[in-house]
Amino acid sequence: MSDTARNRNTWTHGTPRRAVLGGAAAAAAGFALAGCGSDDDGGDEPKGRKKGEKITLTFWSWVPGIDKPVALWNSKNPEVRVKVEKVSAVDGAQYAKMHAAIKAGNPPDLGQIEYPVVPSFLIDNGLLDLTKYGVADHKDKFIGWQWQQSVFGKAVYAVPQASGPMGLFIRQDLFEKWGIEPPTTWDEYEAAATAIRKKGAWIETFSATNGNRFAGLAWQAGARWFGTEGDTWTVSIDDEPTRKVADYWYGLVRRKLIKTIPDRQNAWYKDVQTGDMASWLGASWGDALLVGNAPKTAGKWRVAPMPQWKKGDAAYANWGGSTTAVFAKSKYPKDALAFAIWLNTDPESIKLLIENGYGTPGAKQGYTTSQLDVHKDFFGGQEYSEVFDEASRGVDTSWKWGPATDTLYQRLGDAFTAAIGDGSDFRSVLKKVQSQTITDLKEKGLQVKAG
Amino acid sequence: MSEANDPAGGVVAGEPGGPTDGPTDGPTDGAARGGPEAAPPGDRPGDRPGVGRRRAAKGREGLRPPLRHRIITASLLTVAALYFLTPVYWLVVSSTKSSSDLFGTFGFWFHDPHPLDYLHRVLTYDDGIYVRWFANSLMYAGVGALAATLLSAAAGYALAKYRFPGREGIFNVILAGVLIPGTALALPLYLLFSEVGLANTYWAVLIPSVVSPFGVYLCRIYAAAAVPDSLLEAARIDGAGEARIFSTLGLRLMTPALVTVFLFQFVHIWNNFFLPLVMLSDSDLYPIQLGLTSWQGYADRQPELYQYTVGGAFLSVLPLMVLMGVLQRYWRTGLTEGSVKA
Amino acid sequence: MRGAPRRGAPRRLTRTEARSARAASGFLLPFLALFLLCFIAPIGYALYESLLKVERTGPLGLGGETKQVWAGLSNYAHALEDDRFTVGFGRVLLFGAVQIPVMIAFATGLALLLDAASARWVGFFRTAFFLPYGVPGVIASILWGFLYVPGISPLVEMADSIGWNVDFLGRGAVLWSIANIVTWQFTGYNMLVLIAQLKAVPGELYEAARIDGASAWQVARHIKLPLIRPALVLTTVFSLIGTLQLFAEPKVLKPLSNSIDSGYTPNLAAYNEAFTSNNQHIAAAEAVLLALVACVLSFGFLRLVGQRGKDGESG
Repeated sequence: MSDTARNRNTWTHGTPRRAVLGGAAAAAAGFALAGCGSDDDGGDEPKGRKKGEKITLTFWSWVPGIDKPVALWNSKNPEVRVKVEKVSAVDGAQYAKMHAAIKAGNPPDLGQIEYPVVPSFLIDNGLLDLTKYGVADHKDKFIGWQWQQSVFGKAVYAVPQASGPMGLFIRQDLFEKWGIEPPTTWDEYEAAATAIRKKGAWIETFSATNGNRFAGLAWQAGARWFGTEGDTWTVSIDDEPTRKVADYWYGLVRRKLIKTIPDRQNAWYKDVQTGDMASWLGASWGDALLVGNAPKTAGKWRVAPMPQWKKGDAAYANWGGSTTAVFAKSKYPKDALAFAIWLNTDPESIKLLIENGYGTPGAKQGYTTSQLDVHKDFFGGQEYSEVFDEASRGVDTSWKWGPATDTLYQRLGDAFTAAIGDGSDFRSVLKKVQSQTITDLKEKGLQVKAG
Repeated sequence: MSEANDPAGGVVAGEPGGPTDGPTDGPTDGAARGGPEAAPPGDRPGDRPGVGRRRAAKGREGLRPPLRHRIITASLLTVAALYFLTPVYWLVVSSTKSSSDLFGTFGFWFHDPHPLDYLHRVLTYDDGIYVRWFANSLMYAGVGALAATLLSAAAGYALAKYRFPGREGIFNVILAGVLIPGTALALPLYLLFSEVGLANTYWAVLIPSVVSPFGVYLCRIYAAAAVPDSLLEAARIDGAGEARIFSTLGLRLMTPALVTVFLFQFVHIWNNFFLPLVMLSDSDLYPIQLGLTSWQGYADRQPELYQYTVGGAFLSVLPLMVLMGVLQRYWRTGLTEGSVKA
Repeated sequence: MRGAPRRGAPRRLTRTEARSARAASGFLLPFLALFLLCFIAPIGYALYESLLKVERTGPLGLGGETKQVWAGLSNYAHALEDDRFTVGFGRVLLFGAVQIPVMIAFATGLALLLDAASARWVGFFRTAFFLPYGVPGVIASILWGFLYVPGISPLVEMADSIGWNVDFLGRGAVLWSIANIVTWQFTGYNMLVLIAQLKAVPGELYEAARIDGASAWQVARHIKLPLIRPALVLTTVFSLIGTLQLFAEPKVLKPLSNSIDSGYTPNLAAYNEAFTSNNQHIAAAEAVLLALVACVLSFGFLRLVGQRGKDGESG
């Protein structure tokens, strides 16, 4: 019992240490990671499904209405039934559950994993390298940078599902009533926040625990939290662009121009329903959330581009964005991959996913932009997907995620919670989280330094 | 409602004075003594003059003091009852509301109630997964508590009725087990069970649930007092085997304690959240609380789940609360045994 | 087989004792085996895990091999240096220091009131007080969560309407909002334990006191309270252990509040360390520390009251 299961794999099956990619290749292909998982050593390889054998694959996801495309798949593939389990995405609960299941040795076959978190699961040796199962054949079906998010070294660990380019949801009716223009820059946003506050409502909330969105804000401002130098990770959460963002939001919080309640929770939905909150800095998958949770505000919403730091710029960022990954323990990797590809490229599947609000497709084809305007009526007839499409093109895709993003988000959440509580400025948050992250990565046995 | 239960409770408990409730303070007593406000705080019983003076003063006012005494008691109890019942009332009201009414209407009053409709949806959502969770909870708690009771009974009986080397040592280790928080054990247990492939199975929740150090402690104390050695000796002379003596004599004489251990463990397992949370990832194995939190966690994607969470909470609380009401008399039984020697 | 001397013929005694030991082990073994598996083994395993750490080789540490190496006490050092964890400990201790006395006093008060009240409504009240015990902590937290969230809670709404601004989930209040949930759930249970003990008090004692002219209050203060002391000790120890385990309430309320961090209680910290941060070695160290503190506190408390009890008897 001296080793955990995953280490035993590495030891007893003697995975050969695989070739390490050079720096150039690494830069081109995300991060250079070699030989994660022990799945590729002959003896361990799952035999897969016999012809005609009926199997059931389990799939953990939190895309709204994910059961619909899955039902479609099941009707078409009676032999490979997929069973969806909807997992909670509140506070990283879904990843805690996945890590636990990996440790317990019985993860599902497939899981929805966001781009930022894919590397965390490589530390677990939790994901399957899909190259052996022919994933490369499908590369051209997906948008390049989204594909690259799951490529580490020569290995491909997941199939892109959707991205979440950010945009600003606003209550057009309220903005008009109050005579406020939708802000196009962060300065205007601040002015709008002040004006809305004078009307007794709020422009937004800054949720302490929403590390994902904060990362998006930093991303937009030009931050680069993670990088690599040889075999060493570099961490620079406390960089200048992030400080700019932190200072900005700290100013809003300090002057009480913005709420600090958690977003996408009871109280927030109430505010959205009543108009107490007149806008939401969300992402392309947010339309479904608004439609589902504030049905009575239909027709009153519009989508505007994310405010810019400099007028006329077109810098955007992602909030979220997901893959469909196959877990290393899956007994039927081939079928699992087939499902993952089908789910994210089949036009009928994409149609259902779009209808239920999964974000901006990772696939290049199989849908039209106008198809993305599912909730056109809710947004007063606006062809709002164009806003997100535009944003998607303005995302700097050189941003990289580090190896323990879920821990990082938790650290950020804790530090923002404390800072909002005792009124200290957000720069202290960055400083604290920067040093904590370095310690955390060291604790995981990684080489790391401040960037 | 449970007034009628009391005599039975007293009998089962074998408590002196069990059948009557509040025997200490009939109305006449109150009249004679002037009520609770009559005694200066911290005063000694022997401090007659003060009491006497007050009593004389109250005496002139006839029957008012006892009435006041009773009114004060009743109002204090009523306030307390309000505190305990308000959330339950909210739950009842809210289980009849739609998700948007849950957020949009005043929480303490009904709005367009559709109780049966909503409860039906709770029960049938996702192929009736709720019913499955409920059955799981019942199974974990029922089977776990039963096994825990038998194991505790056997162990407690052995510790009370046999002399063997190391007996006190073993008992002390078990006692220390009472003091270790279950959640501190759950994490390492999860890692351990993962190693042997037990995590995420029914066993992962069941096995730890059948170990109740407190049950052993209770059973030992009870057996020591309630199972006379002479009776055991007599049975032995009659030629009965030890196992038989235990299963016929021992278990029967220990019944009140066993009921307590069973109920205690049943509620303990039913309420346990951490262990299943850590152990289980397959929602088919979930007990009810875990299932409800998973609904709540998914509700932002699927708003009707708010309603289902509340409705499901209502349904899950209902049977246990009825059980609590009916069974509380049994609780009083063995609990005293535990505390007498603590 | 050694044994305490007993009455009876020596030869028979030995046989009885041998038989006795055999039978006893038969009765004890099933429990002991499982006790070993579920109590001793996890503690041993946690101790072992807590002394190791992971080392990785390969590019960026994600490629080649991972191995566990001896870490000494560094995981403990890490846990104790992490203010999230230590502050969490302080928080539950504060919680216990306030909530336990309040709850026990509340339960004692209710028990004495019920014991003294006229019989008419006693059954109803007792049942009402005890009902919340049948509500699992998670569900109680979901339920109270709705009663805490501003904009939804009818309580907040009512308070607002009389101009009283409350934020149950705010930084200063949320700990006590959790304390309220725990109190709501367990007061009735503790009350019932105390009532059970009160019923065990011989009726003659009250009679004697009454003849002596003692008031109801005096009977309660000087006869009933001392007599239910053992039950008070028991309920306090259980509450103490329960407090150190606090988990479900902060976990359920966390998404609703902006004031609960991931290490709000030691248990939450250990859970997050194990599953969010995926670092089982530090989690193991935290679990060991938690168990240790729980044992020390409970034993300490028992000793303390044991000591006082003796002093009281002699004095």
